[in-house]
Amino acid sequence: MFTVPRLLFLCFAFIALGSAVRMVVAHQVFHAAFWLILSFFGIAALYVMLEAPFMTGLQLFLYIGGVAVLNIMAIMVTRQMMHPRRTANDPLTAALMAFSTFSFILWMILQLPFPNEPQVPAPVGNLPVIGELLVDVNGYALPFELVSLLLFVVLLSVLYLAKER
Amino acid sequence: MIPLSWYLMLAAALFCVGLYGMLAERHLITMLMSLELMLNAVILNMVAFARYLEPQALHGKTFALFIYALAAADAVLGLALTVLVWRNRDTVAIDKINTLKG
Repeated sequence: MFTVPRLLFLCFAFIALGSAVRMVVAHQVFHAAFWLILSFFGIAALYVMLEAPFMTGLQLFLYIGGVAVLNIMAIMVTRQMMHPRRTANDPLTAALMAFSTFSFILWMILQLPFPNEPQVPAPVGNLPVIGELLVDVNGYALPFELVSLLLFVVLLSVLYLAKER
Repeated sequence: MIPLSWYLMLAAALFCVGLYGMLAERHLITMLMSLELMLNAVILNMVAFARYLEPQALHGKTFALFIYALAAADAVLGLALTVLVWRNRDTVAIDKINTLKG
């Protein structure tokens, strides 16, 4: 039942989920940012277990190196570092909604016969194939170009927004 | 090996923790952090499905890459708007940003 990979999975899942919960209930915004980073680390470890090392690298570079650091910088700029945070009037309703959503998804997962083992062999050296698929006209060339256009527009709009007027 | 449903349950739990943070929060930056947690749960689902059910795991990972790009875009734009709101109103609490309230 509890083999080594399963125990490893449970360990990383505990890190990811536990620090996510701590992020949501943290008393200070700055602490919440650090718990979020720990949660991202747990998810990156799970990508290693899914034999997707490229996704692990992306998770570390993009989320921890990019988004989390950007969050911390935004907290510093808005001087919210040591302010105690206030929650909504009624966190109980929010908890109830989140819990009911979770039980609905859990019910749906338990209805379906998901496999216990991977049905396909582990992908070997498929990163060049993904790269070709991204720029293939019959693949994802159009969404790829749209995403690059989106990132360009975001860059311009953030520059415009951040300008002192 | 690990059953696929374990990954799906973990992703559902992460998504719902993010949902709780989104609903119970009054602070723009932590709302954005909860949003990133929800997006992470979705990406974990994509990668798990790609590993378990798809030969070569191509399309699931490609979708995950697109979600990464969109998540980066919305984080950058959201934080820029947060800083802008703070600059104009000296607060980032969403219950104080109520000019449009009738």
